[in-house]
Amino acid sequence: MSATPGSIPWLLRHELKLAWYGAAVNKGGKRRPGSRTIIVGAVGLILLHVLAFFMLRELGPGMDEPALAIPVTFMVIACATFMLSSALSGCVLALFERGDLDLLLSSPLPSRTVFAVRLLGIVASTAIPYLYLGGPFANAALVLGHPGWLGLYVMVGVVAMLMACAGMLLTLGLVRVLGARRTRVVAQVTAAVAGALLFILSQLSSLAHNGSDGARQVLDSLLGPHLASLDSALWLPGRALLGAPVPLLGATLLAGLAFALTLGRTHRFFVHGLQQAASADRVRARPAGALRFRFRRSLFDTVVVKEWRLIARDPHLIAQVLLQLIYLLPLLFLILRNGTAGPALGTGLTMLCCSLTGSLAWIVLSAEDAPDLLLSAPAPWRTLQLAKLAAATMPALLVVALPLLWLTAHTPLAGLLVAFTVSAGVLSTGLIVLWTGRPAPRSDFKMRGKGNFLCTMLELVNSLCWAGLSWVLVALDGQNTAWTLPLAAVALAGGLGVLLFAWLQRRRPV
Amino acid sequence: MNADSPALRLRALRKSFGRPAVDGLDLTVRRGELYALLGPNGAGKTTTLRMVTGLLAPDEGDIDVLGVDLARDPAQAKRGMAYLPDDPLLYGKLKPTEYLEFVAGLWGIRAEDAEPRARRLLDWLDLTKHAHELTEGFSRGMKQKLALAGALIHEPELLILDEPLTGLDAAAARQVKDLLVSHVDRGGTVILTTHILEVAERLAQRIGIIRQGRLIAEGTLAELRARTQGDSLEDVFLHLTEGQAT
Repeated sequence: MSATPGSIPWLLRHELKLAWYGAAVNKGGKRRPGSRTIIVGAVGLILLHVLAFFMLRELGPGMDEPALAIPVTFMVIACATFMLSSALSGCVLALFERGDLDLLLSSPLPSRTVFAVRLLGIVASTAIPYLYLGGPFANAALVLGHPGWLGLYVMVGVVAMLMACAGMLLTLGLVRVLGARRTRVVAQVTAAVAGALLFILSQLSSLAHNGSDGARQVLDSLLGPHLASLDSALWLPGRALLGAPVPLLGATLLAGLAFALTLGRTHRFFVHGLQQAASADRVRARPAGALRFRFRRSLFDTVVVKEWRLIARDPHLIAQVLLQLIYLLPLLFLILRNGTAGPALGTGLTMLCCSLTGSLAWIVLSAEDAPDLLLSAPAPWRTLQLAKLAAATMPALLVVALPLLWLTAHTPLAGLLVAFTVSAGVLSTGLIVLWTGRPAPRSDFKMRGKGNFLCTMLELVNSLCWAGLSWVLVALDGQNTAWTLPLAAVALAGGLGVLLFAWLQRRRPV
Repeated sequence: MNADSPALRLRALRKSFGRPAVDGLDLTVRRGELYALLGPNGAGKTTTLRMVTGLLAPDEGDIDVLGVDLARDPAQAKRGMAYLPDDPLLYGKLKPTEYLEFVAGLWGIRAEDAEPRARRLLDWLDLTKHAHELTEGFSRGMKQKLALAGALIHEPELLILDEPLTGLDAAAARQVKDLLVSHVDRGGTVILTTHILEVAERLAQRIGIIRQGRLIAEGTLAELRARTQGDSLEDVFLHLTEGQAT
């Protein structure tokens, strides 16, 4: 059945088709996900069904427990935060990065239709991953005789719609307050940080559940007995997801109302936002101030300063780099909690610094904006690469300097050993990217792992080797010399072996 | 650098990407002339220029830039040359002043020489009032002009431009053309590729036409006209490249 050209279903189908093409895992010129991706997706879905079935069967009568609404509500809130993050990214894409809105808005289609479809597209792209992951649980529950769990499908749609509306309102509001250019950056950073903060909270919570104080106490004191009671309205999202008809209907109506209001009240502003976005990149001539130049004495300084300027002026990129570090923090907490401070701190710092250097090295070395300019210049290639390597490694070493000083002041030998592993790890990471990195645009930062699997794996193994060596060396300082020496030798050999392998794989310039 | 040698000499230059892109090209460009290299799409113009500027290694053949063998001493050969491709070599997150500082650093220009040149170029190209803006917000014409300023800051003897007028408005195109003529008037050499035949007709002292990686005709406009009995460069070009789209 084909929809009438120009209608909402027709445009929505076009939107979904583009999203399908965009979902291609392999970006090597493919228009749509290949058959391998589809097969992997299907196998994953079957496995998820099996996993869900056994997990829910294990739960048994607990599936009917009213108290289940409490953890489910927390899960809904957690997913909502991630969905807001994803919806914000979708709104930035819709307003600033998709090049097709000029075509759509210059056509005879009403702008309300365009806005409605774009918003529905954001809803769909936000909901689909959660339907993929959550759907098997609803289906398994159905098989186990709990049809109420099918409410999960509705609730995923409801939360996705609410978050898409919130994301769009937030983005358009930011456009009004900050202007299009700043909105793009703020929305991108907010989207990145929203998901990460929740991840940290969830990790803190899991740490608290392991017996120590902290997050659990905070949670208990926040809620209090009256809010935590089972019939509290606080747990309505959980009850709706588990199939309670009234909360489910209420949530659906709320989402529908939010969609209608967003559509009705803001579609004109959507068009205005687009116009602002279109003109955001155009510069206005300012009164000419005094021209100030700072020509540097050496090529090395010139390149380092240029690289740092480019990084410092890209808040979205900085947010993404810091995000990676945020995701490492819970690991650091765990290490610090379970181990003695010296080895744990050394291991954590080495991993963190390797990760930061890997990201910066990719930006500086692989994502060079004008490689042809460098190649066509008479500047020595070795100096250029050395300067770039320095630009990528120095920030990590600066970040680590303070904790290292603290460690050295407390346990001098441990401090020196960790300084060695951190420096070696950082330098090795930089060299691995230098030797095995492939040119890519900066916008591919999030995809860099997929784009160059070899480099990513070498970075990972390198980081683990030097972090492991750090642990063993600092532990060696204390006791257990019988097993620590061979382990240290293995870790060191591993680190050097990775470096040698990367060197053998190195790419030569023209 | 040898002052008596031509600005550029290519001998039996070959480059293949599965099929030959440049196929035994011999070309000589004299110092102090504006040479237009024309050819249909896929004729090998850009590949040739990229080999000349050291961005691509030739499979075979020799490239002498200002009397210096590019393969033997690339740094010295590049020192007197600047390349401006169709897509300007810029950094969106740098301001024009910072971009010029960077390019001057790459070519090792001393601050006391670079600064007055940078001021003069920004002023000449009407970019002074945008000197403190990030280039990512510039129009195509402004970007092209800034890239040209970058190409000229080290006062190259040989200026190589690939489609320098693409996407420029009339005023910007005029500025660029004036700048090229002025460069030649001051003794510099310009090699450019263009699809705008009128530009080659008006500006170039000599024109070379390549097809399938080979030079099929070369000379002044008058010589080419006489050879093909065409009225305009367009007639000459179409006659020589018959069967291929421009």
